Amino acid sequence: MSDILRLSLPLTVWIAAFSAVYGLEGVVCSDRWTGAGLTLGQGRAALVAAGALAIALQLALLAGLRLPRFASALPWVQRTAAILAGVALVATVWSLVPVVATSLCL
Amino acid sequence: MTDKPRLTALRLHKALHPIWKNDPGWKGRFTTVNNNDIGTMFILGATGMFLAGGILAMLIRAQLASPRSVFMGPEVYNQIFTMHGTIMMFLFAIPFFEALTVFLLPGMLGTRDLAFPRLSSYGFWCYMIGATIMILALVAGVAPDGGWFMYPPLSSSAFSPGINTDIWLLGISFIEISAIGAAVEVVVTVLRYRAVGMTLDRLPIFAWYMLVVAVMILTAFPPMILGSLILELERAFDMPFFQAEHGGDSLLWQHLFWLFGHPEVYIIFLPAAGVISMILPVMARTTLLGYGWVVAAAISLAVLSFGLWVHHMFTTGIPHMGLAFFSAVSTLVAVPTGVQIFAWIGTLWKGRPELHLPMLWILGFFVTFVMGGLTGVMVAMVPFDWQAHDTYFVVAHLHYVLIGGYVFPMIAAVYYWLPVLTGRKRFFRMGEVAFWLVMAGFHGTFLLLHWAGLLGMRRRIDSIEAGSGWEGINLLASISGFVLAIGFALVILDVAVNAFVAVRGRRNPWNAGTLEWATPIPGPAYNVASIPVVASRYPLHDNPGLPVQIARGEGFLGNPVRNRRETLAVSVARAEPEFIAVFPQNSIIPFAMAVVTSVMFMAPVWKWYGLMLASALGVTALAMCWAWQGGSRRDEGLLDAGRGVSLPPHTEVPCPPGWWGSLFLLLADGVLFGSLLFGYAFLWTVAPNWPPPAILEPGGLGPVLAAGGVVLACAGIRLADRAIRKAGVPWIRLGASLAGLAALGAAAWTVFGGTTHDAHAYDATLWVIAGYVVFHAGVAGLMVLFLMARIRAGYVSARRFGDARVVRLWIDYAALTAILGLGAAWLPGWLA
Repeated sequence: MSDILRLSLPLTVWIAAFSAVYGLEGVVCSDRWTGAGLTLGQGRAALVAAGALAIALQLALLAGLRLPRFASALPWVQRTAAILAGVALVATVWSLVPVVATSLCL
Repeated sequence: MTDKPRLTALRLHKALHPIWKNDPGWKGRFTTVNNNDIGTMFILGATGMFLAGGILAMLIRAQLASPRSVFMGPEVYNQIFTMHGTIMMFLFAIPFFEALTVFLLPGMLGTRDLAFPRLSSYGFWCYMIGATIMILALVAGVAPDGGWFMYPPLSSSAFSPGINTDIWLLGISFIEISAIGAAVEVVVTVLRYRAVGMTLDRLPIFAWYMLVVAVMILTAFPPMILGSLILELERAFDMPFFQAEHGGDSLLWQHLFWLFGHPEVYIIFLPAAGVISMILPVMARTTLLGYGWVVAAAISLAVLSFGLWVHHMFTTGIPHMGLAFFSAVSTLVAVPTGVQIFAWIGTLWKGRPELHLPMLWILGFFVTFVMGGLTGVMVAMVPFDWQAHDTYFVVAHLHYVLIGGYVFPMIAAVYYWLPVLTGRKRFFRMGEVAFWLVMAGFHGTFLLLHWAGLLGMRRRIDSIEAGSGWEGINLLASISGFVLAIGFALVILDVAVNAFVAVRGRRNPWNAGTLEWATPIPGPAYNVASIPVVASRYPLHDNPGLPVQIARGEGFLGNPVRNRRETLAVSVARAEPEFIAVFPQNSIIPFAMAVVTSVMFMAPVWKWYGLMLASALGVTALAMCWAWQGGSRRDEGLLDAGRGVSLPPHTEVPCPPGWWGSLFLLLADGVLFGSLLFGYAFLWTVAPNWPPPAILEPGGLGPVLAAGGVVLACAGIRLADRAIRKAGVPWIRLGASLAGLAALGAAAWTVFGGTTHDAHAYDATLWVIAGYVVFHAGVAGLMVLFLMARIRAGYVSARRFGDARVVRLWIDYAALTAILGLGAAWLPGWLA
């Protein structure tokens, strides 16, 4: 099962991070955010921080999967896990670009 | 020299056949648990549903062929188009690939059956009974009529009174049992039941695809099952999940539905991609180019597809940033799709393609799917989608993707594996004519309908106006639609004629390299006479003599001395032999349980809740009979598995197949629970009329009961597990676990006392959360009682403690979800 985890973990982390950032955007744009005395600028900062954390997590996974300690005994799994970690990193960057590139709550 | 192997193989066949054969006569149809029988019946059932959905499509095209048509009134038309979508998505597309998988997968993996044969049978009968109910509802004029995605408030009791919507909500949820069951089967089979040496990088590519798809089913279907459940609760008991005036939000349904609905598209496409990846290299006389990249693309596509659901909701007023997130992922998903397409083109390039009929259908796929994919990128762009949303452009796009991307490859699959399915060689040549009729008819219909959509023709309208500019397009599309229908009918006729009257064929007519071609055709009930050892992805190319060696029993378990249905379980990654799995005999219980389950699901349509509860008890009793039949009352120790290897039976390993099945079932259950918490958070954050007028006061009793219950339940089962392994007496420890579960149930019950189910969406949500906790504590409690009975009956010993491990898994899950669910319920009260 650990090989299946190696293959599935990076993209699972991506979907979790993506959903969390989307959820955070929902919170920032809701009445509850301003009702709690927070500004949209702080909301943007929170989203950028969440996005940066997601990217950092993916970089850590990409590096971690290459460490001998976490390496698979099957070279094919090792290679494919590296490809999938790369895909997850690209997906994280691309799908979270809107936190810095688009208007918030319009 | 030439006769000896044949005689040995024949003798082995004569030994295996009585062990694996069906019950005689018509009774055998209902008691069979064999994957070949279930797969064949499943294929026939799903084909029947394709015909039914196709007839409805023709009625739609007849209605829209001329302006102001009086062929059907709007009430009937609404039922027809709703049922067309429902049948094609839920009763044909998913069941058909499941059927093919049930039939092919064991042979492909070199094993004797799927991991849980009775579950195959139960899933099939749930599907057949559910599908029959849906068709009968259509005939009776009470079919669902709110569109196949059943948006509230249209589908609420205020705007859709009557039982039509209830039939959809409960009927589809019932049918989904079949999909969830098949998914659990496929995951466990692919991970644990394979030929020895079939490491993860030697899996047939179709098995990889189906593993991915099965996990997708387990994670995509639960949100919709939850949505159906709470919409039905709203309709039946006025629990206002989707009513804005009481804190509900109809957008919650759209989120839950499309959390399922978009991955569903890839759940349908990926099996087709798996089929293409199997057939194309054989047709091109080569091997698949970029196997690892294709696996990575399939996994990527599967996960990315879960980040697309809002692109069906671009016109619902979601903020720009939210739209941009989903637009970005919608474009991203084209990349792994492209990787697969280029891998297939590369495979053709490096091989020497031959234009047999399956190849013709795959070429049809290429043309059509690429066009559908490009219009998919168009509707992924928010500004374009705002213009095209809910028009015939989208209808045309989804038919390009679903028919081009799914139906064409499935037809290729049927022709390719026809020798395995029927044992016959294709003789009659209607298939080529049918192909060209389908191609002309399909593009004549749906290419034109893009145009109608761009001219503003809205989907689901029952009539078009003269002078709208759509009349000519619709007339041509309808004529082409009938050509398409004739083409599909010819395909079915061609397959049927070839299946029944063509000449017997030889094994492996395509000279393929994978193991499903290693058995005699059609395959015997036991699939493989012995479990082979493989050393590459194409074992028949490495060793053309392998089929004979398998038939002679030169693999594992080639000597059926124990006179029971056995197969080999292997380690997940390296496929090394781990234990001998013993399969159940033929049984009527799956059929009986499917019948009683159907009553449990359908009784609420007529508000017969007493009958529902009675049948729930019936399902519980049958499930216990089912589980009771497994296991052994004696320790067997290591058994001869052949080739000089001795292995324990599955009853004497820490994690038996039932543990693995439970693990993946709980994955689906966990996603359902996560969706429930998502719904709660969504309503709290986004819905109008929040916060609710009254917040639940947690008090002291509920949290104390919950904390004590979790500790007792989890500690009790762990100590009992340890006692069992030391041949000790676990009664007090199991009793403690049972008391803990009762405390958990009581803690959840305090939530009912502090809220009113129909007062506000908040109260309704807490009722569902508390109900979930009570239900799982109850299930785990029943399992503890069952375990006690098993211990008393001698099914559990220091070596046979797998049952305790399964119960422990369920108790841990019940405890974890109770902490999270009740914590979420009490949190606002603590913070207030």
